Amino acid sequence: MLSENEIKIVEYLKSRPNKSATAEEISDSLGIPLSSIYSLSQLLKEKGYVRLEEKKLTKYELTDEGKLRLQRGMPEDVLIKTLNGQSRKISELKELMGNELEIALGWARRKNLIKIEKDSVIPLVKDYQSPEVDLLRDPSKINDNNYKQLLARKLISVKQETALILSLAREDITVVKPITYITTDIIKNHEWEKAPIKEYNVEAEPPFYPLAKKHFFKEFLEKLRDVMINLGFTEVKGNYVELEFYNFDLLFQAQDHPAREIHDSFMIEGKGEVKDLELMNRVKEMHKKGWKYEWEPNIALRLVLRSQTTAVTSRVLSSRPRPPIRTFTIGKVFRPDSIDATHLIEFHQLDGLVVENGFAFRDLLGVLKEIFYQIGIKEIKFKPAYFPFTEPSVEVYGKIEGLGWVEMSGAGLLRPEILEAVGIDSDAGAWGIGIDRLAMLLFGLKDIRLLYANNVDFLRNFRG
Amino acid sequence: MVNIIVYKWDLLNKLKISENELEDLLFNLKSEVKPVDQDHLEIEINNDRPDLLSTPGIIRAIKGLKKIELGEAKYEVKQGEYSLKVEKVETRPYAVAGIVRGINLDEDSLKELIQFQEKLHITIGRKRKKVAIGIHDLDKITSKNIVYREVQLDYKFTPLNEKRELTVKEVLESTEQGKQYGTISVKDGRTPAIMEDNGSILSIPPVINSEKTRLEISTRNLFIDVTGTSLDAVSATLDILTTNLAEMGGKIELVKVLSESYETWYPQLKHSKMKISSDYVSKKIGLNLTTESVIEYLRMARFDVSKVQGNEVEVIIPPYRVDIISQIDLVEDVAMMIGYQNLEPSSFKLTRLGAATKLTTVTRKIRDLSIGAGFTEIFTFVLTNDRDIEGDYVKIVNPVTVDYTVIRNSLIPTTLYFLKQNQHSKMPILVFEIGDAVIRGNTDTGYLNSTRAVYSIMDSKVSFEDLQSRIHQILYNLNISFEYRRAEHPLLIKGRTAEIIKDKEQVVGIIGEVHPQVLEKLGIEYPIVISEIYVDRLIGENL
Repeated sequence: MLSENEIKIVEYLKSRPNKSATAEEISDSLGIPLSSIYSLSQLLKEKGYVRLEEKKLTKYELTDEGKLRLQRGMPEDVLIKTLNGQSRKISELKELMGNELEIALGWARRKNLIKIEKDSVIPLVKDYQSPEVDLLRDPSKINDNNYKQLLARKLISVKQETALILSLAREDITVVKPITYITTDIIKNHEWEKAPIKEYNVEAEPPFYPLAKKHFFKEFLEKLRDVMINLGFTEVKGNYVELEFYNFDLLFQAQDHPAREIHDSFMIEGKGEVKDLELMNRVKEMHKKGWKYEWEPNIALRLVLRSQTTAVTSRVLSSRPRPPIRTFTIGKVFRPDSIDATHLIEFHQLDGLVVENGFAFRDLLGVLKEIFYQIGIKEIKFKPAYFPFTEPSVEVYGKIEGLGWVEMSGAGLLRPEILEAVGIDSDAGAWGIGIDRLAMLLFGLKDIRLLYANNVDFLRNFRG
Repeated sequence: MVNIIVYKWDLLNKLKISENELEDLLFNLKSEVKPVDQDHLEIEINNDRPDLLSTPGIIRAIKGLKKIELGEAKYEVKQGEYSLKVEKVETRPYAVAGIVRGINLDEDSLKELIQFQEKLHITIGRKRKKVAIGIHDLDKITSKNIVYREVQLDYKFTPLNEKRELTVKEVLESTEQGKQYGTISVKDGRTPAIMEDNGSILSIPPVINSEKTRLEISTRNLFIDVTGTSLDAVSATLDILTTNLAEMGGKIELVKVLSESYETWYPQLKHSKMKISSDYVSKKIGLNLTTESVIEYLRMARFDVSKVQGNEVEVIIPPYRVDIISQIDLVEDVAMMIGYQNLEPSSFKLTRLGAATKLTTVTRKIRDLSIGAGFTEIFTFVLTNDRDIEGDYVKIVNPVTVDYTVIRNSLIPTTLYFLKQNQHSKMPILVFEIGDAVIRGNTDTGYLNSTRAVYSIMDSKVSFEDLQSRIHQILYNLNISFEYRRAEHPLLIKGRTAEIIKDKEQVVGIIGEVHPQVLEKLGIEYPIVISEIYVDRLIGENL
């Protein structure tokens, strides 16, 4: 089987009258680098297509002087041209020709082109061109008989070279071009029967392919959605810009609570409104009774970027739904922080809500255990905790291989004060799960920012 | 959450327990423990339990949990001869005071006392705005009649850690505490002051005490002043402080507080009563508890409890348990005394079917089609900066960095930024993202989320059609009827931009080649075609 370039060489040799050529000639004609021709020659020889022969060649090359003379003519030619058939004084010629005159006079006399009388030069011919110039113009005419004078006049240099000559080994050779791409024509015309199919290097690494794939962290969020849906929860969504009323006040977070200071949530200019005035009043009463201060409606109407997805739960409650209810939301929340390997200013939470008659604290623990089991956290433990809107409150710790116990969720029974404010006469439990750090641990990432990497190669290479 | 550092051996020796056991006990009291060095521990205390912000408070709680002592701790209290006269102070109207005698301080307990004061300032005191505390060496106070009143800023005294007298103004301007808290209560050139009736200043609340009454290891008797903007809060703070000191072995001595609106003895050590039934506790926790066991658990939580009738009991709430607002708070205490580790989670019961929102269902469908069209999914931040964003958008009043100052109103700028970062990656780059932008809307906040799908291709050579052919197939497969209409967009080339129109009337997206001028401004050297589809507007009868 011959390669494309090997076929080209064989075809070229076939086109030559004596079916042979030097490597250099082949390289020049086919535009293949000389070094490739050398290695291809060996391959063709091994396959029996060519004979190789090395031949010593004498090569004549023009010196700088030679190149100059080819351009200007030999000094004696210049002299005859300058005389233009008239005799002239040497001093006059010296001025015209400079140093070259000496050489010109010498060779002109030797070639019997002039004679010198007293101080004048008399031309014997009207014009003249040296045969040397012809040779310089076409160095292939230089041979053993005429090279010596050129060499003596430093017009050429002589080089010995070894040339590689390729000759077709067999006269009757016919080359069949192998098939590279299988085309419709090849199939239809049965060309695959007439020519071999070129082999590929099938063991080599392939070129790059930009595979389209889903984002691993988005997929993780979808998996969490499926876990919640499969556990019988209905999805709800909310907006990023939220009233403090839903983000804090309805959740029994006092207006002078440290979490409500300006460095703990992103503030948005403007004010919103709460149309349910009865709800506003009840929330006011709840704060007055529980925290013993004057609740300020204008603070509740301020806008923030929601700092917890519990704001969505809060909206569900404020719609005064009829139990039984099981809802969840997964979404972004925003908190001012300094961004580093474990902190982001926007991240995700999963919030869940159960409102059912007789829903007890142990039932809540059972729901949490099941959620984490479905996520893949098989071992969890519960720690008493404090959140303004739940009582009893609990933090869930999950065991992660190689890391130990990691805090994963905050939960609790909703405070009766809140249920009373929204007018729900039932029992309720709620929880929030921080997702990003959990994903980071489960994916084994060292830097939480990689969940939002601005690097397409990272996404292409990441195998979640 | 607040962290305190305590001397480990004090806790371990007084409770006769190991460090591991202490760690477990504190875990069950909501607290996590971290070792600081071989003598000290850092303990995380929740904001609802200021009574646990010092070692004596922790010891009191653990003694209950370990059943070493049950019911409320009783402290010796008697009336004394000191008085606090409260005059009109506009910026912090309330002041109370109390005395604790017979305290034995050493280097560690003195440090912890000052830490206790500081942590109370941060939590219940809302960084001294709501409540501020001054603790003095009683024996260095020369008069029994203390006065709370306003003084002029040129009033002189020697503040803590200074050798000479300064004016109040100088204290506010030159000391660290002055700079930090000096502006809280000063008004019209006057500041609140606690002083002896002879004019000698004890403290300038909420800023600093005087050097004169400085606490030392030799200090045995304490005078405590608490000032603030809420009488409930200052009174509770004094209760917490004096009872915790009494737990250390001190004796509480009441101070007569005289004001125009209130005149009584402090600390008030006011107890409240709450009735609760064991049925309620059982129902909330999900366990069948007898009335006797509920009483036992409440006594472990250091409450005095008496049976009323049937399954109803009466609980006496000690003054320092400021977290007990309603019955449910007692339920939590019972659960904690049982131990969360002993509460077996109920087995999960599926009650009805769950469901995703319509938007989630549609988003999932579009994501599948987008992958089929050859786009890699990316995930960018919603927060961005106002340099590259066009039109009307939501600004953050208090951003933390110049890179994140606004919420995006479109996914195009965040996608272009993503592409800018990837000019050295292998081309072609085909990416998409489905995410939210925030726009103005007719809601109770005036804003709403708008879900968008953005698609783009960046390559050494790319055209409108390269993207349009893909988008076309995605939209076709969503089963909506759509067409293209020539349009203009500030970022896109005129003549190579189209709007996507659904049902011949509603604009549901835009597609076009990014203008070279925009690319140059962004520092992008490759051509980009981009399209944004408004996903929420696609949802209709057919989808």
